[in-house]
Amino acid sequence: MRADAAQADRNAAVRNAARSWRKAGAIDEATLEAIEKTVPDDRVRVGPVFRVLLFFFTVLAANALFGFLWLLFFENAGSEDVVIGVAAIVFGLALAVLTELQIGRFKRSQGGMEAATSLVALGYLLGGLGWFAIKSFDQSDVKAISLLLVEATLLFAAAAWRWGYPAYAGAAAAALLGAAAHLPFGRVFWIVLPLLAASFLLRLADSERLPPAHRDSCQAILIVSLVGLYVAVHLGSFESGLIEEIGNPARGAGPASTSDLLWWLSAAATGLVPVVLLAVAVRTRRYPFLFVGLGTAAASLITLRFYVHLAPLWILLTVSGIALVSLVFILRRYLGSGPNKERGGFTAEPLFEDLARQRLLEVGATVLSFSPEARTIREEPRFTGGGGEFGGGGSSGEF
Amino acid sequence: MNPDVANAIPKLVESGLLPRREAPRLLRAARGGLVTVHDELRVLLYLGVLLITGGVGLLVEENLDRIGPVAIAIVLGLAAAAVLVWVARVSPPFSWREVPSPNLAFDYMLLLGVLLAAADLAYVEVRFTPLGANWTWHLLIVAVLTGIAAFRFDSRIVFSLALSTFAAWRGVAVSRIGSSLWNGSVDAVRWNAIACGALFAVLGLVLLKTGRKAHFEPVAVHLGWLLIFGGLASGWGEAGSVWIFYTVGLLLCGAGLAAAAYRFRRFPLFAFGVIGGYAALSRLIAEAIDELIFGCLWFFVTAALLIFGLIAAQRRMKEPL
Repeated sequence: MRADAAQADRNAAVRNAARSWRKAGAIDEATLEAIEKTVPDDRVRVGPVFRVLLFFFTVLAANALFGFLWLLFFENAGSEDVVIGVAAIVFGLALAVLTELQIGRFKRSQGGMEAATSLVALGYLLGGLGWFAIKSFDQSDVKAISLLLVEATLLFAAAAWRWGYPAYAGAAAAALLGAAAHLPFGRVFWIVLPLLAASFLLRLADSERLPPAHRDSCQAILIVSLVGLYVAVHLGSFESGLIEEIGNPARGAGPASTSDLLWWLSAAATGLVPVVLLAVAVRTRRYPFLFVGLGTAAASLITLRFYVHLAPLWILLTVSGIALVSLVFILRRYLGSGPNKERGGFTAEPLFEDLARQRLLEVGATVLSFSPEARTIREEPRFTGGGGEFGGGGSSGEF
Repeated sequence: MNPDVANAIPKLVESGLLPRREAPRLLRAARGGLVTVHDELRVLLYLGVLLITGGVGLLVEENLDRIGPVAIAIVLGLAAAAVLVWVARVSPPFSWREVPSPNLAFDYMLLLGVLLAAADLAYVEVRFTPLGANWTWHLLIVAVLTGIAAFRFDSRIVFSLALSTFAAWRGVAVSRIGSSLWNGSVDAVRWNAIACGALFAVLGLVLLKTGRKAHFEPVAVHLGWLLIFGGLASGWGEAGSVWIFYTVGLLLCGAGLAAAAYRFRRFPLFAFGVIGGYAALSRLIAEAIDELIFGCLWFFVTAALLIFGLIAAQRRMKEPL
């Protein structure tokens, strides 16, 4: 990341914190203004709605421009098919330069456009490189996919490092796991890599030397790694040979191993990994462990239902729902009854969150998931004209 | 944990910008010493309600003969009553203004109670047909009762459910906006969607103007415009020249909404208007363009122009009204 962009990122973190303190009533408006003056923002930013609009129209404009240029200069020129790969790479590089210009000279951040050009740049670069990878090897050769995944890892990692987008860091981690699946003992890599990287990533995620965007990137890598670890030990993935199939699609679905011991180890790990992740979350108060722990716990319960028929589905759903609601009540009461409504560094009270945005999301989720089925409206047949028919009483419409 | 904020707090206190009494709590949060699970608990509550209602749905569907209709109706009714009694007991007094939730679970327990009651009413209607030939009014009754609960207990979540239930009564599946919006793509449903949308938008405006539950206005207005745009856009596939009517309608509505939203600094509605209007205009142009290259040129030039326009609009909309 450029030094000025990193400093702006640090200032933005303090400004955002101050705004959340203001929303929570911890400071007044004058204090907020004074704090904002001490950590000036030299970036050109836009709000979330305009960010989405600018992102959307920039993606549209960039792709339309490529389509236009391609159709204008190459499509009817009888060019060799290598041109499409080169054109995609050149266009991707041009967009990468444009992203650099926006973030550097024009000091844009959270503006939608620079994120869009960076994403489209990566798309075209990967498309072009992928084209050459497939051309270099036989199209059905897994080496082409391996090469593409390695290229994707490097490109996404470079983009995350240079432009500071945590999503690219997560994508780089996912691509790296995909590439590791192509190695012999790919499943072992999926287990060992996250275990080795976790403590290192945690330290980096807290490092003062890194700007907030890079710290967030480390958290994104950690989340993807933990999900990868869970997938690697999951019983369903073991039985279907998911990772082995990613490494070699021609292999098809089938158990990763015929060993009973490994089956039992996988079954035990499917149950234990969420418990360990949640325990680490409680001990370290780390959100990545909490998110992945809750998600994997749900996945493991669904897996349990798949293998062990405990009760009819409606009972399981209702009892799980009641248990979940009861758990929330117990946790809320437990945390709320502690000194200052907290226990062990956890509180159920909102700290400095944007509650208005939360409510909007809740309303959206409610409309999508709880709205009733619409009743069927029957429409009277339209008058179509075209003359009538004779009939009735056994007569025919035709004379 | 946020080291930049943690480093900044002592400096802000030293320079007198940050009140000293606030610093310890803010510092603990910045250093990761105090973590809130407020959002996570709400997500768990949402999932809990989703699971319970899913389970109840299956119960009604699969166990009709085994348990018996009366037993199911009574159990559902008792469960709904128990939840709603709890809600009524902890609820603050009614006010036309925004009332803070008494606790974290309040909104979701109210939602659960309303959903259970609605399931019970639907079940009773299907099994015992008390409304007889007027059974189609069932959804309207549920929508009205849900709306009353939303106003009484000041819940935007339940208010959105009331609106989507009302739309369902008119044959419009709000949850399917963007895919197969309608139960059969018939004209009557399309016009019902547009009418529902207009009604919701007007309702929102009335709430805002009268200052009665004015904070419900964004829910009604956003849902209303989504229905209007969805209804008009669903007419694009119509045969003959009918699609032109709907497309021009969408173009005019989009342009009008964007202009009004620009005037009153309503960012999400501005986005609705811009996207709706642009999509309609592009649909009209696409019909007139035969060559793909001109299509690409159209999208490049117009998207680029829109980007410049949006940047200018954004600067203007940041200024106070």
